[in-house]
Amino acid sequence: MSNGGTPAQGRKEGGFEREPARRVFAGELRECRHQFREGDDEKSPTFVLLPTGERSNRVFLVGTLTEKQRKGEQNIFYRGRVVDPTGTFFVMAGSYQPEAMQQLAKIETPAFVGVVGKPNLYQTPDGAYLVSVRVESVTIVDRETRDLWMLDTARATLDRIDAMAQGLTPDAARVKEHYPALDPAMFRKMVYEALAQIKI
Amino acid sequence: MDFSQTAERISLKFSQKGQSVDTKKIEAKLRRLIEEFGVQPAEAERSVTNELAKEFNLPGIGTGGGGAGKPGERENRSIADVTPGEWVTIEGKVVAILSPVSPSIAQSGIIADTTGAIRFVVWAKANAPEMRQDAWYRIESAVIDEFKGVANLKIHSGTSVKPIVEDRALIPSILKVGELKPGIGSVRVKVVQEWETTHERMLQSGIVGDESGTVKFVIWKEPGKERLKVGAVYTIFYALVDEFNARLSLNLSTATYMQDEGDITVSGGDSNVRGAVVHIAPGSGLIKRCPVEGCNRALSRQNYCPVHEIQPGFVYDLRIKGWLDDGEKTYNILLQREVVESLTGINLNAAKELAENNPLGMDEVFLRMRDTILGRYIICRGREIDNRLLVRTCERVKMDTGEHTALLNRAGGAP
Repeated sequence: MSNGGTPAQGRKEGGFEREPARRVFAGELRECRHQFREGDDEKSPTFVLLPTGERSNRVFLVGTLTEKQRKGEQNIFYRGRVVDPTGTFFVMAGSYQPEAMQQLAKIETPAFVGVVGKPNLYQTPDGAYLVSVRVESVTIVDRETRDLWMLDTARATLDRIDAMAQGLTPDAARVKEHYPALDPAMFRKMVYEALAQIKI
Repeated sequence: MDFSQTAERISLKFSQKGQSVDTKKIEAKLRRLIEEFGVQPAEAERSVTNELAKEFNLPGIGTGGGGAGKPGERENRSIADVTPGEWVTIEGKVVAILSPVSPSIAQSGIIADTTGAIRFVVWAKANAPEMRQDAWYRIESAVIDEFKGVANLKIHSGTSVKPIVEDRALIPSILKVGELKPGIGSVRVKVVQEWETTHERMLQSGIVGDESGTVKFVIWKEPGKERLKVGAVYTIFYALVDEFNARLSLNLSTATYMQDEGDITVSGGDSNVRGAVVHIAPGSGLIKRCPVEGCNRALSRQNYCPVHEIQPGFVYDLRIKGWLDDGEKTYNILLQREVVESLTGINLNAAKELAENNPLGMDEVFLRMRDTILGRYIICRGREIDNRLLVRTCERVKMDTGEHTALLNRAGGAP
């Protein structure tokens, strides 16, 4: 767990390995501007490229579910906002994730929730980008779990920033191409401010 | 008729001696002998090889036209030394016979001598005498081939197979699990875990290991095959070592195995993973197990055991299957009853009561356990095999203020 690691190299030809759930703050996830698919197969996983230099097919996030909305007529789905100290995650669960949708329907806001899901990058007609997390599972958690997640995510984010500074990330070229103007210092600052909000 | 394989084989023999021969040229020679002159393919191969051997002045390679034989070719070879592409003569004991997988194969199995063991295949076209298990044979002019990365002794129509009288004691050399290579292997191992069988023809599968590592094993249902006992030590002679997705597995269909005295400390028993529970799989919570002695399989909702069918006298148990994720890697975790009880605070009796007094039945136990541990940080200690973690103990992660301070310094300190 020491640095940004080797997500892509770990994948064996033909073998199945579950994609790890990356720890990322809302303030970083909303800056994603690039999504790509590994391999040509229909079932190949898609990744969003985190601005700190790591690809992510799945995320684990903990925050406060502040709002949820039932949408759709025929195809019912739920949308929700999960807030951490750096910003807001947009989550959604539809009929393809029946369990997650029922869970989301049941939880009363506000509540600390732990969410596992897949991030997707969308562009609105006016050109704005939106990252939404398709929920695989959501459960109510306690404050301690939220605090543990903050530490975990702070460490993972700093690890990614350090790995990128040392040129250790396998997606370095992609980061240069898609985030040319990005300054990693802003994410370091974001981490510091997030940590400072934890009351011990 | 296609001569390219034969030509390839001949060419390989010479390239091993440093001579390159155009396979097209060899093919042409073969075609001429076989198609124009009606020579038998095996004889043609021999003849072309000899002709080239003479041309390059390499007497060691030729095969001595049809039987007389040169000393080099007829000499016995050690099974451990043979390499793909060679024509060899060996003497050995048939230690296993497998049921043939295709009508074009008359027999297959394993033959061993004092140096090692190799898989053999007898083509139906070879018209070779049927070999018996535990008998010794002298096999002349067989070809060493390679199939799926494993050396194989091919007995074809040009091979002679003769029973011989031998009473040598044959003690296979025992390898460490970490030293296994695709082919044949003999090991002394402890049974670490058994898995639920995924196929009706499968008798048992699971993990065995020694100090050097662990490996998956499988036993297919065949008369006389017995299951291994979890926790017991076995000496296994002549198992097939297969490779799939860069991972080895032991197929005990050909093997002789016997339980052994003593104990083995299996490697990899002390992994420590801290992460979040990101998924709880169906089949977790309160489950029913088959009561038949030595079975213990999980039953379906209708109390159906894949082997022993309907079992109304089931036994209740607790377990959790799921994924533990540290952000870099995801581990398939399996928690047994004691670990589940200590982590969820629901013991077996409480779970049974919940199931009996609730309209959702056993699902209620699953849902409660899911809501208690899904999305939580835990530390699991246990044995790691590939990305599976067999959890021995497990606890919740506690907040560490020292870590908080260190991270604040790290975020604020460095440039």
